Amino acid sequence: MRWRPVALTLGAIIFLFPFYYMVVGSLQARPDSSPAGALPRPGNLSLNNYREIDAAVNLGRSLLNSIVFTGGVVLGTLVFGVLAGYALARLRYPGRGTLFAAMLLLQVIPFQLLVIPLYVQIVRGYGLADTYLGMILPFAINSVAVFVFRQFFLQLPGELFEAARIDGAGELRVLWSVALPLVRPALLTATLLTFIGPWNEFLWPFLVTKQAGMQPLAVALANYMSTVASAATNPYGAILAGACFLAAPAVLLFIVFQRHFVSSDLGSGVKG
Amino acid sequence: MKPLPIALVLLLAVAGCGGGNDASNPEAATARGPISLWYSNNAQEVAWGKQVVQAWNAAHPDEVVTAQEIPAGQTSEAVISASITAGNAPCLIYNTSPAAVPNFQAQGGLVPLDDFADGASYVAARSGAAAAQYTSPDGKFYQLPWKSNPVMLFYNKKAFAKAGISTTAPPLGTYTEFLATAEKLVSGGAAKYAIFPSPSSQFFQSWFDFYPMYAAQSGGQQLVVDGKATFDSDPGRAVAGLWQQLYAKNLAGKEAYTGDAFADGTAAMASAGPWAIAAYQDKVDWGVTSVPTQSGSAEDQATFSDAKNVALYTACANRGTAWDFLKFSTSAEQDGKLLEMTGQMPLRQDLAGAYPAYFAKNPRYAVFAAKAAHVVEVPNVKGSVEVWQTFRDAWSTSVIFGKQDPATALTDAANKINDLVE
Amino acid sequence: MRRQPIGMLFSAPYAVFVAAVFAYPLGLAVWISFHEYIFTAPGVSVPRPFVGLDNYSAVLTDPAVRRSFVNIGIFLIINVPLTVALSLLLATALNSAVRGRTFFRTSFYLPYVAASVAVVGVWLFLFGSGGLVNQVLGSAAPDPSWLINENWAMPSIALFVTWKQLGFFILLYLAALQNVPKELYESAAVDGANRWRSFRAVTVPGVRPATTLVTLLAIITGANLFTEPYLLTNGGGPSGRSASPVLLMYQRGIEQGHPDVAAAIGVLLVAGVLIVAGAQQLLERRQR
Repeated sequence: MRWRPVALTLGAIIFLFPFYYMVVGSLQARPDSSPAGALPRPGNLSLNNYREIDAAVNLGRSLLNSIVFTGGVVLGTLVFGVLAGYALARLRYPGRGTLFAAMLLLQVIPFQLLVIPLYVQIVRGYGLADTYLGMILPFAINSVAVFVFRQFFLQLPGELFEAARIDGAGELRVLWSVALPLVRPALLTATLLTFIGPWNEFLWPFLVTKQAGMQPLAVALANYMSTVASAATNPYGAILAGACFLAAPAVLLFIVFQRHFVSSDLGSGVKG
Repeated sequence: MKPLPIALVLLLAVAGCGGGNDASNPEAATARGPISLWYSNNAQEVAWGKQVVQAWNAAHPDEVVTAQEIPAGQTSEAVISASITAGNAPCLIYNTSPAAVPNFQAQGGLVPLDDFADGASYVAARSGAAAAQYTSPDGKFYQLPWKSNPVMLFYNKKAFAKAGISTTAPPLGTYTEFLATAEKLVSGGAAKYAIFPSPSSQFFQSWFDFYPMYAAQSGGQQLVVDGKATFDSDPGRAVAGLWQQLYAKNLAGKEAYTGDAFADGTAAMASAGPWAIAAYQDKVDWGVTSVPTQSGSAEDQATFSDAKNVALYTACANRGTAWDFLKFSTSAEQDGKLLEMTGQMPLRQDLAGAYPAYFAKNPRYAVFAAKAAHVVEVPNVKGSVEVWQTFRDAWSTSVIFGKQDPATALTDAANKINDLVE
Repeated sequence: MRRQPIGMLFSAPYAVFVAAVFAYPLGLAVWISFHEYIFTAPGVSVPRPFVGLDNYSAVLTDPAVRRSFVNIGIFLIINVPLTVALSLLLATALNSAVRGRTFFRTSFYLPYVAASVAVVGVWLFLFGSGGLVNQVLGSAAPDPSWLINENWAMPSIALFVTWKQLGFFILLYLAALQNVPKELYESAAVDGANRWRSFRAVTVPGVRPATTLVTLLAIITGANLFTEPYLLTNGGGPSGRSASPVLLMYQRGIEQGHPDVAAAIGVLLVAGVLIVAGAQQLLERRQR
């Protein structure tokens, strides 16, 4: 019984169809919400939806803002998150339990609860309105990623660390040359999941940036979708085009990096 | 896991940071200097905003105005509220929703225009009798009534023709006619739905289905008058009854819809203001008429204003300049430009008489100008948003989804609202 | 046991980050929930009396809030097991399928990347009254249709979120699968275990830490549900049957200007999640 290809193909269709529909819809000159609209019809295809976005939004500048915002978050998470995750998983020190509890707590808190006090603190307390730092700060170290790192460091066999420590390696050295290479897939996973948060984040950068020149792509496009698009020739098509444009860099990044998911040292598990 | 110590740390942090408040600046009414403002972000209003700022700055090099867009939509109230709390709101926001004014006022975010010597008289002289609807419970103006979008009924001439209905004088005056027309449109396949206002539970959605018809049916009554809900009445029940039938017969859509149902032909009618003229221009061959009433619509019946106003925020240091600019930007000349560039109706008395040339050239806008004299605003009461949410929830359960008798739902909602506004 | 104080140094940046960015707003939120509170402009002082548990009792007696907690319970019961099972199954399949691996991985990741506004439109196309699913089902389709049916609205949302988030959880499992030693599978094969057996005996225990992680994150994501009921079921409809606590927090706290009530809902929600997560951990530990 070859269940894998069957399950995968079935799954892929279910997962691809909406995306496919998004792309087709974004290329329609006139909206067609009937089931027949899921098939591209040559007479109804145009790049007009994308042209209208290009005319209304400064794409280059927004893309740059998105890259700075997202890059800052990913960098902060990779450097400080890995350190914290490693310490939480493998080191014993005072305050570890408290920090772990705080990390858990932080993930459970709905952002809607904190948003206004957080805004007041960062804008009035720290004076960071309309700055990249103000945008990055609440996301600077992704707690989910810290949690992921911790979980993966826990999964590694303890003897590995003991051996390295007996050889006299310092903790930074153990982390860098023993632990990190083994959790490369986890690093990559965390990067990709950290990346998508700020990339798609709307509410926070929207609050912090009042100047259009500072707005990341997600805000600029959401703005476009919510107000400008209704006046576009094909409003729904314009929304879909905006979504495609926002998703494209993330998808590209994924395709480029996904082959590193499988760690070479441990092999690829079961052979099908 | 030790959650207790964290809780302690957090409480300490609150005790440490909670106190720091800046002093306010109440004597700023005459201060002059540079100011900032936000305007809405639709293309037409941006263009208008840019030219008015440019005109001002050319004449006032010492009192420079800097302007930027704020995104409209559901989140703009959150942005304004957060900015008030943080103390970095601009001087003027040309996109202040009257329903949000009571909240902003309670936050201490708004400057009463009565602080200026000619404040109240200016508002009254510009807007005439309509201004009264914009006073707050303490008798002051915390907003300048700026522009309205009187809601009327748009209909798709092509769909009407296809269903064999007159496109010049469609039978839409009474509820009976309206229902018959709606059924004809849908059963004949001219459109999937007769009308498709957003069925969403957002507090403001009743402004586009219930409120225009209620204003017409009740002879221009607000939702709440003198601290009492008015809609638990014959007119309220009549409007609810009409919509309940529309939903029960599937003549109005109940599901979320992406895009504009009227623009793409899914719905044959829509209730909207003159802003929609530009949006529907190249998409639909439309006609416009008054919303129906039980016994037949009339030219001079009331409708919902869908106004957006200007408010002056307390974070503003140079309030003298802000007030001067506010008057400059709502002068007869600038109001004329607003009308010309956006098609929205300045809240100014005798609009048609003030800009005869414009309305002669743009007859499609003239009907809306006539309507602008009969607009009803949302009530300026404490907890305005909560009042509307209460109403919307009752409407959604009973009228849209038929889970409750509309009359009972209206009574329950009215009781809750009476408690809210006391 | 040996202590490693260098751990304090390693976790210092994260601890500072938590304290500097979140301690104040979080503490304030808890404080607000025990007071009558509105956000005011700097310099404006309004009375903010201590009201004890008033906000909590107001919230707990509010049928809409109670309903939203029931809704989220329904959501979690459907979403969490489905997410764990499907993502582990698909990750296992993905881990071995050599042919077309890039294609498959990317396709599962796509919904996670796509913006909700756009995907919601697609979902309406599928699950709307005249949508594809109902046309296939014919007379077996529920009436009223999925998203406006009191009993189906929440399950539909749970299904949607499972679908949207699955790619993310598959990634977590994929990474975890890399650390399951190959030899274990080989010895299982020597013992004559078939594929299902070795999946149960080797894969499932091998990725247990990841399962804990996936379960917890799925619970947390579910508890923070907001965008989907806002967009997909018209703001929690029909009749509040798909309203989530966070949606009500948004309405009460941000739209209506009652941060005190919203904070009480938030604190209850956090407490609820911690209890559910704790219970789940206990259960799991007992199973081991």
